Amino acid sequence: MYGRKGYQLPKDFASGEKGHLKPFNSKLFDETIEECDQNHHLIQFLIRHLSLSICIYFTNKVFCLIEGVDVTRKMEQEGLDVHNNRNADHYGALVHHLSLIHNKRCLMAYVHNRADIVRDLAWRVGLELLDLPPEIQDKLTTLEKRVLQEPFCSYQIVHGKSRNRVECRYGASKRTTNFTRHSMHFLKRTDAELYIA
Amino acid sequence: MAKYYYDIDDILTEEEFAPVLFHKPANGVTIDPSAETNSVEQGAKVELPFWLAHELHLRQAVSINLPACFDQKTRLEIQADAACVDLRSRCPYFYEFGCKLQPLVTDRTLGILLSTAFKIRYKERLTKVFTATHLTASKFLPFLTIEETNLYEAAHLSMTAFKKWRTGGPRFQRASILGRKRKES
Repeated sequence: MYGRKGYQLPKDFASGEKGHLKPFNSKLFDETIEECDQNHHLIQFLIRHLSLSICIYFTNKVFCLIEGVDVTRKMEQEGLDVHNNRNADHYGALVHHLSLIHNKRCLMAYVHNRADIVRDLAWRVGLELLDLPPEIQDKLTTLEKRVLQEPFCSYQIVHGKSRNRVECRYGASKRTTNFTRHSMHFLKRTDAELYIA
Repeated sequence: MAKYYYDIDDILTEEEFAPVLFHKPANGVTIDPSAETNSVEQGAKVELPFWLAHELHLRQAVSINLPACFDQKTRLEIQADAACVDLRSRCPYFYEFGCKLQPLVTDRTLGILLSTAFKIRYKERLTKVFTATHLTASKFLPFLTIEETNLYEAAHLSMTAFKKWRTGGPRFQRASILGRKRKES
């Protein structure tokens, strides 16, 4: 509870060697998502309880106005500390909300930092997944493998008379062609169009 | 702000626990181990991770006290000989955590403590570890905080790159344009 599962994700990431991938900890990832669900259910429960307290307060206020009785004294007589209960429910829901947001941050940071390493790997090794040793391939998730298999490139084409100037923004590695990031090439339009992502 | 959102070190820094005093009650939470019900009473003293304590402090629900890693014992040890204090065992993110705590606590001497400790340790320990042998450096590395270790590794990489540059290839290369011979008229 309260972000303890989510915290273990960045801790697990940091325990590995810098720049090296560890196998994706899907068990911990799922447990963090489950903790988020628990936080969400408790937020809903507390908000409902809070709404009920507000309803009770205003109902009593209306009756007191009709009967000409002080609403605060009536609440005290009946043992209803609605004001404090309302605050307590609010802060309880706040704690769960903050825990949920924190778990979200941990989940996203885990995936983001892994994606950074996969991208660096792609730049160093190229986009040939099958060329990677099996022990590295085993550490990648299906989504990360797909990143390595599909080219990621963006090109800006400046049209010329017979040839176009193509600026490679990201880079790609295909079987026959290698582009480095931010490199400039002069290509025929028909050739340049093949590489537009 | 955005670049720190995904930063692993920033997340781990904010996981450090800080003692807080609740000014408001909270229902439906099991933070207080001494509480009989799943709630926190007004006036309860508990330890919360910094990310939670900070947000509750901003909403005036709690007040934050100094954690044990910044207590009087640590201060006296730093005053005696900051270079030899094992700060990593007290708090791996001693400086970062202290910087985050400093605006939230009433103790105004925390900033001076961090600054003094870093200056002394940088001068006495880090500058010597950069140039020391691996055997000597390995004795002091476990005492360094994560921030100090990152500085050490950056310096180590720079030194390695400098040595590689010094030993590998000519320092000066003649510009290719100077190789052209002029025709004598």
